[in-house]
Amino acid sequence: MRKFIFALLTLLFSISIFAHGPTPQKVQESITVNVSVEKAWALVKDFSAIDKWHPAVKDIKIEKRGEDTYRILSLESGGTLEEKFRSTDDDLKKIKWEITKGKVPFTDFNAYIIVSKGANANESIIQWTARFYRTYKLNPPIPEGQDDATAKAAGQVIVDNGLAGLKKTLESK
Amino acid sequence: MINQNKKFILIILTSILLSLIYLYSNYYKVNSKAYITNQGDNTVSVVDLINLEVIKTIKVGIAPLGITILNKKNLGFIGNVGTDDISVIDTRTDQIIKTIKLNTAPLSLTSSPDESKVYVTDWFKNNVLIISVEEMKVIDSFKVGKTPSGIAFNKKYNYLIVTNRDSNSVEVYNKNTKLIKKLATGNHPFGVYTKGKYAYTANVYDDTVTVINLEDWSSKDIKVGAHPYNILTHQNLALVTNAVDDSLSIIDLKIDKEIKKINTGETPENLDIHQKLNLLIVTNWGSDSISIYDLKNLKLIKEIKTGAQSRSFGNFILQ
Repeated sequence: MRKFIFALLTLLFSISIFAHGPTPQKVQESITVNVSVEKAWALVKDFSAIDKWHPAVKDIKIEKRGEDTYRILSLESGGTLEEKFRSTDDDLKKIKWEITKGKVPFTDFNAYIIVSKGANANESIIQWTARFYRTYKLNPPIPEGQDDATAKAAGQVIVDNGLAGLKKTLESK
Repeated sequence: MINQNKKFILIILTSILLSLIYLYSNYYKVNSKAYITNQGDNTVSVVDLINLEVIKTIKVGIAPLGITILNKKNLGFIGNVGTDDISVIDTRTDQIIKTIKLNTAPLSLTSSPDESKVYVTDWFKNNVLIISVEEMKVIDSFKVGKTPSGIAFNKKYNYLIVTNRDSNSVEVYNKNTKLIKKLATGNHPFGVYTKGKYAYTANVYDDTVTVINLEDWSSKDIKVGAHPYNILTHQNLALVTNAVDDSLSIIDLKIDKEIKKINTGETPENLDIHQKLNLLIVTNWGSDSISIYDLKNLKLIKEIKTGAQSRSFGNFILQ
């Protein structure tokens, strides 16, 4: 019982902390992969290859709209996600993109992945950073499912599963 | 005996000189600091701008974002959007001397030129709150348009200028808090800066800045990098943080065009200048750091780790 009350209090406390203000949410995670930095970057930089490594992605379609490149992702869970390519930088080994459409519990989702050298030649570190906001941008009370905690949890899952998928794909090749 | 006296005088003179040097360098040291609000870990990093290092980390309220430094009064006002209050820091001791409760989220802050008042945009209730610096409390407020984001004080005309993020406009109030003009900006204006007869807004969604002439109310949009967040001017240049581009756009104001981009840390949000030291400081939300540039040639001098999600929306340099 005591444990339950404690958990409830923690939950209430954390909700009240994150229920306020226009605070961008940040998820930044890294994973060490046992392949060379060149090999890791070759997969990460390919905007059209996410279906090869992200477990949530079933299928991918690339679309050119003017000068912009989009990928339309069919998800394992059903539904689609549209993402716009922003840039790659071979020196920094960095790719940037944003989510432009989809049924997701967050908004203004911008992300980048940086690949860097690990402790030795056959090791690299992949870091994924995502920035986004909750969907409800107005004053409290915030409707259920549109708050910071929901947005953060959803962003976290995308990043965590993505990094795990990258490691699995890279190391099995 | 004579020799001994000479020696004594020499020692005295040397020690006076040394203490003067010490006092002088100390004066510079205490008056050259950057205050970085770290929204992710509820702290403010104090950065010594002489030695370019973090010298203190101050615990403030939850989710600190906005800031304004009162140079003459040696005070820093920090807006905490998580606890709906303001932490006031004495910049001589770098300790919190007061917490001002607001019951609304303070998004951005600026002060009157005489530093007797601090103005705060009230994000939830669409007000600007007026804080008396002497009394350390809210003494008045006035209604503004929706989602008031950035705020700046124009000394030339005594105007308070507020961006309305969700209605793509900027509002200009006179010193009696009367609305005298509302103008259209680009899409999603966030930061605002003003100097002389101009005001500038950074428009996040359409990658532009709007330059507004406060004399004849003409305006013009200039294309910059992706997701511009804030802007300031220096001589004939405007410098803009492009949050999603990890860069600064450098605009030549004589031709109103971007002339180059320079690299920053990840997700740069805000920027400020130390005039005497000729330093430009940029806060990097993504890499939890600040980038310090030589203002004369815009070359990077150093990147320093600060706290989680460094933002510092406002004037954040003590000088």
